[in-house]
Amino acid sequence: MPLDVIMPALGMTQDTGVILAWHKQPGAPVKEGEALFEVETDKAAMEVEAQGSGYLTSVSAAVGDEVPVGQVLARISETPEGAEDASERSPQPQSSSGTPKADPQDDAVPEGEQVIMPALGMAQDAGLIVAWHKKPGDEVAAADVLFDVETDKSVVEVPAGHDGFVAALLAEQGEEAPVGDVIAIISREKPDAPISRSAKSQKRPGATTALPEASAKAQEPASPARKPSTRPPAAADGRILASPKTRRLALEKGLDLSLLAEHGYPQPYHVKDLETLEQLATAPARQTADTASGRYLSAEVKSDNFDAFVTWTAQELGLTDTNALLAGFAATSLNGKSANVALEAFGETRVYSIQGRRLGNAVQAGEDITPDLRVRDLRFGRLTSVQTGPEEIPVVSILATANGLKLTFECRSEHMDASAAINLLSDFAGRIEQPLRHLL
Amino acid sequence: MREITLSQAVNEALAEEMRRDPTTFILGEDVAEAGTPFKVLSGLVEEFGTERVIDTPISEPGFLGIAVGAAMTGARPIVDLMFGDFLYLVMDQLCNQAAKQHYMSGGKLSVPMVVRTNLGATRRSGAQHSQSLHALVAHIPGLKVAMPSSAYEAKGLMKTAIRDNNPVVIFEDKLMYQDKAPVPEEEYLIPFGEANIKREGSDITLIATSSMVQVAEAAAKILEAEGISAEVIDPRTIVPLDEQTLLNSIRKTSRAIVIDEGHQNYGITGEIASRLNEKAFYYLDAPVLRMGAMDVPVPFSPVLEDLTVPTPEGVAENARRLCAGEMIHAA
Repeated sequence: MPLDVIMPALGMTQDTGVILAWHKQPGAPVKEGEALFEVETDKAAMEVEAQGSGYLTSVSAAVGDEVPVGQVLARISETPEGAEDASERSPQPQSSSGTPKADPQDDAVPEGEQVIMPALGMAQDAGLIVAWHKKPGDEVAAADVLFDVETDKSVVEVPAGHDGFVAALLAEQGEEAPVGDVIAIISREKPDAPISRSAKSQKRPGATTALPEASAKAQEPASPARKPSTRPPAAADGRILASPKTRRLALEKGLDLSLLAEHGYPQPYHVKDLETLEQLATAPARQTADTASGRYLSAEVKSDNFDAFVTWTAQELGLTDTNALLAGFAATSLNGKSANVALEAFGETRVYSIQGRRLGNAVQAGEDITPDLRVRDLRFGRLTSVQTGPEEIPVVSILATANGLKLTFECRSEHMDASAAINLLSDFAGRIEQPLRHLL
Repeated sequence: MREITLSQAVNEALAEEMRRDPTTFILGEDVAEAGTPFKVLSGLVEEFGTERVIDTPISEPGFLGIAVGAAMTGARPIVDLMFGDFLYLVMDQLCNQAAKQHYMSGGKLSVPMVVRTNLGATRRSGAQHSQSLHALVAHIPGLKVAMPSSAYEAKGLMKTAIRDNNPVVIFEDKLMYQDKAPVPEEEYLIPFGEANIKREGSDITLIATSSMVQVAEAAAKILEAEGISAEVIDPRTIVPLDEQTLLNSIRKTSRAIVIDEGHQNYGITGEIASRLNEKAFYYLDAPVLRMGAMDVPVPFSPVLEDLTVPTPEGVAENARRLCAGEMIHAA
């Protein structure tokens, strides 16, 4: 495959280069990387290396010639004669911006030498075609001016670079074409049906200042609805995370941010959380906070009586399974008769089948039983609040606080209505606070 | 109003000031016949001659030193530093000499010099011609630093810089030279230390300099469609900095992102964020975020280069997170 040797763009403002010397004679063998010729720009003289190996042929510029950047000076062929050039498919001219892209359009373009939009300056991405000097079908010589191109700096006449006929003009006067795009085809034979058409405007890559297209996944506007599951939990040391402005406003309004934490609202807190805090501060102590898809309640109770009750049942009645006891309380709070309760403690789950409220009649059920209620005993962990969202079945969680226990209840709206949920947790809280009630 | 390019705006500012004051002159590499690689100075040598538009040898410390000396003895030199990256070469003349003469001479000497240079990546120019180094000079007491974000600012700030009696470094965004903006025919100056509220908003303040102003404005448009109202502020000069306008805005919005094309580490974004933190702490509802260029040499690969500078999408995403009250960089 023969290779075109072009005048390289060595400087930022360089339009042409003067050939100071050829280091190879026409027909001489050339190795890739060898110095091929020397060129002088407005700044310096430089040696230009061969981009491939072969024989130097078709030398079209002599020492002393001033040649426009991008113009073909010679060719590196497979034979000293370069005879194969005529029959072979044309080599693709090189440009400083890389190999030229193929014409992106599906429509066929005529065979022939491709003329690309040259890179005339370092900052140039595209060139505006000011005028075509040839019409489709015109005969053209390599040195003839084919078109004028305007860059951000100047207007430059660009020679055709090949002898032949204009077979296709692929961009119109007044259009801008990206550097490296094929904008014309020059054929050896007179074309039957020369083409003239408009270039498809191509988006400039990487323009950071360009306005982006509207994001397809349109985000919902920021709404005050909290999504607890995406939030990190509260700081482990019990410190409340809140923005400086939130703290200042809370202080000014005499509000206590810890109330939000106690009710399980996820941190950090921002100004918009103060609305919720104001409601909490004015509401009764036992607060319900419906989340979008479920019910969430919490209660705080003292634990002295329950602890004493656990000791008493173990000593007096030989009932040492606290899990069974809690399951019994929960089942009774659920419907007063019989229920299956899953009890999670220390990472293990046991399902109890409860019949009536008599102590000691809790039976461990098989794994195939679907529980009606789940109880999570988290008294011995470090969590200060839980709000994990409704699950398959209603969930009661038990956490330790400084003064006793915190009970939370979560379920889906369809599991039970609000009053049933309040009754359940109130009943359960009552049993924990005064277990003797369970015996009455 | 007529629209002209940033390049034309700078050219006009220089021509007008050179007509006004015969002590002004331009010197630098390729400023006369070539009119700089970006063709910003085209036509000036024809009007003012080679006595006042002087091509220098390739020796930045040399010609900057000449300018400092000329400035101390009554001239008003305008030094053209072809790339902001070449600031490294002139650090002694600029930071040790120009910045300190007024102070060290007890006010007897002054250095009314302008250094006009540029910043900005994504031009495929490689790591040594793509840096945004304004933080280097903003760090030095005695230097003023202007960062125009459009043709309008470029002209008004340049004229103010030339009339200033102290050294000013003015950074133009080299990607913006061909960008047009409305510029009045009649004369105007933009005072230093006066920020420009480009767009009013109530939910978040986007503070952006130079090339990043249009990034911030594009982000504000994205956010607007989602119901988030962003205020965009261009400080225009980072030394002196118009703190009051920034503080007023953040007291209103409670949130801010600072966007700048310099490297993020130890950069302008950190300085501005820190001042907001010190002076508006009790008004902040979210941490002030910095968005600077990635802390790597600017890559030559276009794909990689584009990843190193803030984009409208990136700014919008961070703004969204702040406005949603997400925990940012949780410890």
